[in-house]
Amino acid sequence: MDILFVLIPLSVVLALVVLAGLWWAVYRGQFEDIEEEGRRIFEEDKE
Amino acid sequence: MESHLLSDTHSDEPQANPAWSILDTPEQWMRFSQTVGDEAQPLVESSLLLDGLRCAACSGTVERGLSGLPGIVSARVSMSKKRAVVVWSAELTQPSTILAAIQKMGYSANPASHNESQLNATQKNRAAFWRWLVAGFCMMQVMMYASPSYFTKTGEIETDIQLLLNWAAWLLSLPVMLFSSRSFFSNAWHDLKAKQISMDLPVALGIGITFVVSSAATFDPSGWWGDVVYFDSLTMFVFFLLSARLIEVKLHSKTLGAMEALVSRIPENTERQNADGSYTRVINSQLSVGDIVRVNTGEAFPADGLLLSGQTKVDESLLTGESTPIHKNQGEHVVAGSYNLGATVTMRLETLGESTQYGQIVQLINQAAIEKPRLSQLADRVARPFLFFILLSAVLSAVLLWEQGHGLALMTAAAVLIVTCPCALSLATPAAMLASASAFVKRGILIRHLQAIESIDQIDTVIFDKTGTLTDNHIAVKSLSVKDGLSEAQALAMASALASQSMHPIAMAVTYAAKQNPLANALSITLEQVEEQVGAGMQGRFEQRPLKLGSAAFCAVHSDQVQARDERYQQVYLADDSGWLATFNLQEAIKANTAQAIAALQQAQLDVELLSGDQWHTVKNTAALVGIKVFQAACSPNDKLQRLQGLKLQGKKVLMVGDGLNDGPILASAHVSIAMGKGVPLTLAHADYVLLNGDISEIPALIKHAKKTMRIIKQNIAWAVIYNAVCIPLAFFAWLSPWQAGLGMATSSLIVVLNALRLSQFSHSSVNSSKA
Repeated sequence: MDILFVLIPLSVVLALVVLAGLWWAVYRGQFEDIEEEGRRIFEEDKE
Repeated sequence: MESHLLSDTHSDEPQANPAWSILDTPEQWMRFSQTVGDEAQPLVESSLLLDGLRCAACSGTVERGLSGLPGIVSARVSMSKKRAVVVWSAELTQPSTILAAIQKMGYSANPASHNESQLNATQKNRAAFWRWLVAGFCMMQVMMYASPSYFTKTGEIETDIQLLLNWAAWLLSLPVMLFSSRSFFSNAWHDLKAKQISMDLPVALGIGITFVVSSAATFDPSGWWGDVVYFDSLTMFVFFLLSARLIEVKLHSKTLGAMEALVSRIPENTERQNADGSYTRVINSQLSVGDIVRVNTGEAFPADGLLLSGQTKVDESLLTGESTPIHKNQGEHVVAGSYNLGATVTMRLETLGESTQYGQIVQLINQAAIEKPRLSQLADRVARPFLFFILLSAVLSAVLLWEQGHGLALMTAAAVLIVTCPCALSLATPAAMLASASAFVKRGILIRHLQAIESIDQIDTVIFDKTGTLTDNHIAVKSLSVKDGLSEAQALAMASALASQSMHPIAMAVTYAAKQNPLANALSITLEQVEEQVGAGMQGRFEQRPLKLGSAAFCAVHSDQVQARDERYQQVYLADDSGWLATFNLQEAIKANTAQAIAALQQAQLDVELLSGDQWHTVKNTAALVGIKVFQAACSPNDKLQRLQGLKLQGKKVLMVGDGLNDGPILASAHVSIAMGKGVPLTLAHADYVLLNGDISEIPALIKHAKKTMRIIKQNIAWAVIYNAVCIPLAFFAWLSPWQAGLGMATSSLIVVLNALRLSQFSHSSVNSSKA
């Protein structure tokens, strides 16, 4: 079970990395207009 | 291809505006843009307000059209926000080209100046969302570390692994503690500094205690705090609390959406005419009286004023309740906040900002929203001692359990602190009343005080005024009879010279009749010393002789002098010092649905009365037509007040419904009052409610909705009381863990808000039954 001594700290680091990603997404406004993007797929493609 | 077609169909649209070229300097465009990109390729990101977007396909059209232009890197259109964000290169294109291109596609675009409050709101929303996301994500991760202990017995996990897990959980609880729950701590601290105690104090204490106990157990498992960690509970209840607050804010802004739509309908900027006749877009705060502005199709008029050129159709529905567009010609008045539907017009500004009717409506709404009704003041008063009680019980529970284990004792105290929900208690009233008020606004009913919702729930008597309330303001002169030797035109001209000084509906009818008569119009009559005697008539001096227009008593005419007395009509007389000159036969239309509305009120066990200053037979006619049994005619304002006082002495709670103009004092002294907002300056309408469209049939529905509101408030309060009565003992005897406490508190306040949300629409049943 010694591998847990590596995996647990690794999971903390991974969690922090994911948090950083979420921070980027929130402050880029990714969550602000959720419906618009869904509608976009119904529109014609750009030529 | 498509944009080509569009530009053809819209070739009659106004072409590119030369004034846009002033936007082509960096100082100007930076007011609605920001620089993006790197030094090698500097780009500008501008936000534009779009008009004329009808559907999602429109946003695609604009995006495609713009992306095809040289120099434009990207274009994004948001249908819901009516905004476009365009990224462009300053070397290849300029704002005026972009605006002209959009115009060519058949839409109109304006630079969207950075609205401070809006930017702040976005920032705030993001921060709140981010706090919540951190709490949620860390909660899940901490739960992973905690889960082994859920399924194992003590000692089954090796001590050093358990320690490692605790450390990991501690590390991921830190962001929740230091970042996500910061607002709880800072609010609690602010309140303590102001010597106040608020809901955030027990929450902050609960979070603090849990964190300290768990941290001590992590780093000193053999210490007297014990070795049990509660990081899972900690992160979970912070997440629950933040979720509840986030949803509350969302729901709240949804309810207030209708009000905000009304409040923010005037554009932020307007095209003002320069001295040379060209137009420049300026921020509205720079406008002043006398300015000439151009208003495009689809825009709202920024101020009250006169149409200088062009004719158009306007939509005044939110201001006057008139649902069909009104045709306006050159020289006619337009009001702020109404929409220009027909064509681009120019207008001269006459009244600006808060003195316009629109400004007053906005002010009324804002005022009503911040006022604290009685029940909510009561809840606030109760909340304080309640919080003290909670703090005391938390201490007590800790003391009682101290011997069984310090950690357990402190965690029980934390659970007691967290489970309490005076939030639900203090939210119960304002949440319901605001939701209700927004439902009223959607129906064209303005409310001055939230307290009036409670007042109108208690009434047992409804008193109506007649003219302008039960009957339309459009009284018309049906016929007139004149003294021998006097022509009809002369009589009309003399009467209208008096009547034009008054806003009374009858006076307006006489003025209107004179205007329609070309002969009377040709005569010009000047009067001196014109004055109005409220409830009686107008008087003045004409060629040194007194001239009166009004009731028979006021004009001192006797029935034998009067020709053609007609019972069907309401009559006003014109007289001078020699006696009767003319009689005007007036007929007024009873508003549609009035009889049904009154029947609905009577069905609801309310006494309905009619008090009017008009003659007995017209009042009797009206009363019979609408089904009111108790009526009193020829009332002076004083008589009406006395009747009201009499009812008050009998312990009756009276709802007074008047036109809001001639009956201010009576409306003010009634228990609760409704005024017709049609054509009346709102500042003069001293009533608790204003019916913007003057539709009497809204009243039964209004009362019903107010009753429902009070019912829901009582439910909310009952729920808050029961919840606390059940959950505090549970927590006190250590039957609730902190995370269960957090879940309980979050749900209980959400239940209150959701219950209140049921009020944000007039329910169909209440509308139907009112019309049945």
